[in-house]
Amino acid sequence: MGAVIKTKKTQTVLMGTLGILVFLAVWQIAVLVTRFGTIFPTPFEVLSGMAKAVVEPIGKTTLLGHVGISLSRVLVGYILSSIAGALVGLVMGASKLGKAVLNPIFNIIKPIPGIAWIPLAILWFGTGNTTIYFIIFVGGFAQMVMNTMAGAENVSQELIGVARVLGLKKNRIFLTIVLPSCVPYIFSGLQVSLSTSWMAVLAAEMITATSGCGWLILSGMQSGNMVNNVMGMISIGIVGLVLASFMRIMERRLCSWKERGQ
Amino acid sequence: MKEKREKQKYRIISVISLAAFILIWELLTDVLHLLPEKKLPSPATIIETFLYKLTNTNPDGSVLGIHILTSLKESILGFCIGVGLGVPLGICMAWFEKFDMFFKPLFDLIKPIPPVGWVPVMLMAFGLGIMSKVTVIVIAAIVPAIINSYSGIKQMNPVHKWVAQTFGASNGQILRTIAIPTAGPMIFAGIRVSLNASWVTLVAAELVASTKGLGYMIQMGRMVGRIDLVFMGVLVIGGFGALFSALLGMAEKKIVKGGR
Repeated sequence: MGAVIKTKKTQTVLMGTLGILVFLAVWQIAVLVTRFGTIFPTPFEVLSGMAKAVVEPIGKTTLLGHVGISLSRVLVGYILSSIAGALVGLVMGASKLGKAVLNPIFNIIKPIPGIAWIPLAILWFGTGNTTIYFIIFVGGFAQMVMNTMAGAENVSQELIGVARVLGLKKNRIFLTIVLPSCVPYIFSGLQVSLSTSWMAVLAAEMITATSGCGWLILSGMQSGNMVNNVMGMISIGIVGLVLASFMRIMERRLCSWKERGQ
Repeated sequence: MKEKREKQKYRIISVISLAAFILIWELLTDVLHLLPEKKLPSPATIIETFLYKLTNTNPDGSVLGIHILTSLKESILGFCIGVGLGVPLGICMAWFEKFDMFFKPLFDLIKPIPPVGWVPVMLMAFGLGIMSKVTVIVIAAIVPAIINSYSGIKQMNPVHKWVAQTFGASNGQILRTIAIPTAGPMIFAGIRVSLNASWVTLVAAELVASTKGLGYMIQMGRMVGRIDLVFMGVLVIGGFGALFSALLGMAEKKIVKGGR
């Protein structure tokens, strides 16, 4: 049995490496043979470019610096939108009156993609960091509201009934029953909105910034330096992966009861 | 009876709230002039701009209808290709082990790159035309389609498979009659995410570089400082987003058996 599992594992690794190698080979051949090569770098050029960019600055700062700038922007917008979104979601989910008042206005804002706010934000706040924070804020806000609201609406009515019979006050019910049962929903909202935030920062940086990963990609295109461009994409992919895995680990820690239940 | 009356009460509150929202907005802008017209156009101005833009090409060279058509064409084309490729690919990855081993690591590498990141690459490769947008949207739509069809198939109850095998069903029959219908609701959830991603990505792609489309219209509106035009464009984009998800919800109810 052990041997079977082992050969399967080696097979998985082998096939996976083969897949990536085929991809790299197709990339290399496409660059060397087709018209694609006049604009696009080979994988090796990208790798050596990345190694160089870690020490040598591009524009204002090094590759790691750009990643750090993008991350710090995401962090500010993301934290603000998570707090605001969770609060609004709680109000809308826990109180019927709150939902009746806020829902029609929320329904207008909800389907507007965060990125579509970019031109408006530039007109409102100019081209500084405030605009980027705002874009990230609206990018994650709707997701957060919807998830928290679903959580507050799906609280077990029986639990609330029991608490009422036992004479618990309304605010105690909210704190000890409604809030804890929202936590898993809030967490799935946090996960979705983190990946939307990461996408929003890219788009915002492409259009209005002079630093960060999004700027790296766009300026690479504008100056015809595609190595920078591909480098920017790879670092974005890696950071996105790290962020998503981090959130999954956090969820496992903080909502262990939900995870086990699934 | 009481419940019905309560529902009606809240509906009335909703209507009043929306009306109050628009009224306060109008009061702050057109009537009291508390907020500058340059920062926040009044609802009346936005409607005026909308009507004006239906027949006029100022300031970006196309009437509203052309922008909408261009955006719809690009996003629907990209969405259809992306879903058409992604769903079968996800099913194959979940069904054929070798296929999975080969594609999974590659897919895991590409998955976390936001589709917006591909815009400059595709612009370099295909230029300003429709192709660059469509390819980016294909990438945006294909990822959720693959993920959801993959996990939908993997969710299949093994007992169902064993029963089918015992009764002599072939691999293909099991896939067609058990696995795919089981995955139906998941696949549809994926398509819904794909559609949303297509629309978002389209707007982003048009903002960065294009010559027509809703994203281009609001970008031009910003450049010439016409905030009413930007506002109107943003609302139209949101309106179509809502329309898409409503249509898809209806299709889902018709096609998917069981599920939610």
